[in-house]
Amino acid sequence: MSAAFRSAATPASASDRDQPPFVVLNNLQKDYPGVRALGGVSMDLRRGEVHALVGENGAGKSTLIRVLSGDVRPDGGTLSVGGETVVFAGPMDARKHGIVTIFQELMIVPELSVAENIFLGNEPESFGLFYSRRRAERMAADILETLVKGIGIRPSQRAGSLSTAQKQLIEIARALVLRAPVLVMDEPTAALSENEAVALRRLIVRLRSEGTSILYVSHRLDEIMEIADRVTVLRGGERIATSDIEAITNTSELLGLMIGRPIAQLFPPRNEDLGEVVFSVSSLTRQGAFENISFNVRAGEVVGFAGLVGAGRTEVMRAIFGADVLDSGEIRKSGRVITIHSPRDAIASGIAYLPEDRKDHGLVLSMSGVENLVMASLERSGFAGLVSWKAVGRSARSVAEKLHFTGQLDAMAGTASGGNQQKLVIGKWVLTQADILIFDEPTRGIDVGAKAEVYRLIHRLASEGAAVILVSSELPELMNVCHRIYAMSGGRIWDEIPQEEFDEQRILAGAFVAHMAAKPTAFHAGAA
Amino acid sequence: MVGILESADKIAPVKGDRFKPVAFFQRYGREIGLPVIVVALTALFAANSEVFFSLANFRNIGVSAAALAAVSFGQAFAILTAGLDLSVGSTVALVSIVGAIVMRDYGVPAGMIASLATGAGVGLVNGIVITRFKVFPFIATLAMMSIVSGLALSLSGGVAVTGVPASFADLAYELVLGVPVPVIIALMVLLVAFLVLQYTLLGRRIYAVGGNEEAARLSGIQIGAVKVAAYVFSGMCAAVGSIILTARVASGQPSLGTTLPLESVAAVVLGGISLFGGRGSVIGVAFGVLFVSILSNGLNLLNVPSYTQMMVIGGALILAVALDQAFMGSRVSRSG
Repeated sequence: MSAAFRSAATPASASDRDQPPFVVLNNLQKDYPGVRALGGVSMDLRRGEVHALVGENGAGKSTLIRVLSGDVRPDGGTLSVGGETVVFAGPMDARKHGIVTIFQELMIVPELSVAENIFLGNEPESFGLFYSRRRAERMAADILETLVKGIGIRPSQRAGSLSTAQKQLIEIARALVLRAPVLVMDEPTAALSENEAVALRRLIVRLRSEGTSILYVSHRLDEIMEIADRVTVLRGGERIATSDIEAITNTSELLGLMIGRPIAQLFPPRNEDLGEVVFSVSSLTRQGAFENISFNVRAGEVVGFAGLVGAGRTEVMRAIFGADVLDSGEIRKSGRVITIHSPRDAIASGIAYLPEDRKDHGLVLSMSGVENLVMASLERSGFAGLVSWKAVGRSARSVAEKLHFTGQLDAMAGTASGGNQQKLVIGKWVLTQADILIFDEPTRGIDVGAKAEVYRLIHRLASEGAAVILVSSELPELMNVCHRIYAMSGGRIWDEIPQEEFDEQRILAGAFVAHMAAKPTAFHAGAA
Repeated sequence: MVGILESADKIAPVKGDRFKPVAFFQRYGREIGLPVIVVALTALFAANSEVFFSLANFRNIGVSAAALAAVSFGQAFAILTAGLDLSVGSTVALVSIVGAIVMRDYGVPAGMIASLATGAGVGLVNGIVITRFKVFPFIATLAMMSIVSGLALSLSGGVAVTGVPASFADLAYELVLGVPVPVIIALMVLLVAFLVLQYTLLGRRIYAVGGNEEAARLSGIQIGAVKVAAYVFSGMCAAVGSIILTARVASGQPSLGTTLPLESVAAVVLGGISLFGGRGSVIGVAFGVLFVSILSNGLNLLNVPSYTQMMVIGGALILAVALDQAFMGSRVSRSG
């Protein structure tokens, strides 16, 4: 009752334009050793507005967010909330002032349940004393239902068993519980599939109408054009522009502002020189994850896998790579049946897998860029169990150069930007000279410039005769990069769509099959 | 696929190869800190004790540090894989008994070989228990500590094994170019450990496994084999430490090395190797050993009771781990 009253009493967004802004950042400065992260940035956030913040990696977005979240104290400038100048002592202090930040880095306690994670530090009580598990789980179920319907997260589930995207949803649910007047979202949709992103955008629009101010950081510019009221562009720690979204004609204009020069082409043309089928799997099954998976890839071809989170795409790829066990099925390379019991076997067969989780599965963050690059091919850089650092350095530098790696190769991988980290993972597999490459969400959370380079690289690998498998939750990416797309849902492949027939509706239909009442029979790619 | 690599030789070094003071400090800060403290400690004791700053005393420190050093370099391997080897102390005892018996009956070379084999054997069992049966290193090696100690006591009947050849016992006190033989042995272990970690596939894989086990596995690294090798190395290093100690006491002693688990972990962690694995170097460990050894030698000379010394070393260990935690915290928040 009281909650409904509160939201009804909050002014709607239309009348807010004339009010003084709720959060004001004035001339914020922050220097790190050798880097000017923020060179005097001013901007503001009105009540009931979605204000997008865009810029390339290193533009200062992360630092700005960390200042707002109380994680970083600025070297200069002021911050005011509701007309009152504030200096945050720490993240808790920022929350007390009503600013809640949803970080890209997930802060989930894996051993606790979903409900416990959502209410962490804010647990519902019974009789003011006991933690009521039933009540917490019921409330959690309500929140999850509002957030994304039918995503299949049970409140009693162990949070550690969730996928990256599901964890991201928990993170958002946690912020909603706090009912903060200001939400800062750092790439909330980066880990989400298209449909989850749609649901989240709907939620954001609703929060806005209830008077919540949202600072929205995203690399998905079409998304920003859709939901933002205003947009601020940062470049090199400076504010380049702030504009009403109506004044921006298209995403290219935004891109131009971000990069400071017009962008040539996001997607390179497809490789036209396709060879024989070099890789095929038939009837792959893993109990509880996927069943009867059959598909094939030709030399020089890029084959996409569309689907919702939890469709089983990652599970299939991990099993092919030997990271998880297969119950049954057959894998063929160049016509020959191959047996894979471990990633080591897969690598020996010329298969590479770029995991969706760069930091946890792709890189050893405490080791240098050089060492990460050569990690899967170290035997080649020496003999008799010895490492030749000269050879290692040479191959690492050559591949880094090819990938346009712009960070420091000798620094710990953990200090590199998202785009550069992804280049390290890609470079690692390029160095193994694999000819079957599986990319699992390769552009998640990296900026547009780095995305273009990933596409360019996929194109280049395909042109050189590699067979590429691309698992992605971004439809435009799949539709512009792939020759063929398989749509997966509920652990099965439901549709195979050739390039001439690419159609958003059809792909989504295939990705949604398992979520609909009447299920058609599964599609068998290997039937022919 | 080969095309992407073909111009490998033409690429000039990228600018990241230049010396950057900030990056250098972030990466090596902890490694520099300890040597500075060791020098300061030396100066402190030299100012307060006439005996401390003498060649004879330095030899003393060297001989007493040698066994700890050998054991600690092995311990470093275990900890670098994000593991731990608590069985090093009782391994030293078992090796002492086995080595003394074989030496007495079959001569010094056979005794040495038996010693190393025994150490490697204990390490192998540690490694298999940890990787095959998925027992946490802490529990596995704690249990092995008890098992191996019991083995040493029952083999010896709880008493010292005498009759060790005099030529062997003399080793502990001989000088080569003025340097005590145990110190030379410890330096050789250091060299081997350094070369293995820096220049072999195994060494780099130990760092990879300790740094991120899942990423290492997905890069095709055989995690189990790497860990087993690390524990075998640790066992062999304990054997070398045992040979030094056995020579010093000229007999096989079932109670040898009881303080080594704590002291070796202290030396390794003080030396800047992260308990979370994957970070640090054996050069740092050498300074960790020097720190522990100089501290106890200096406190001895200042007539500080040995009970008090135990408290000081324990305190230093806690301090080192606390610093490690603080450092880890800042590292995590810096990424991203």
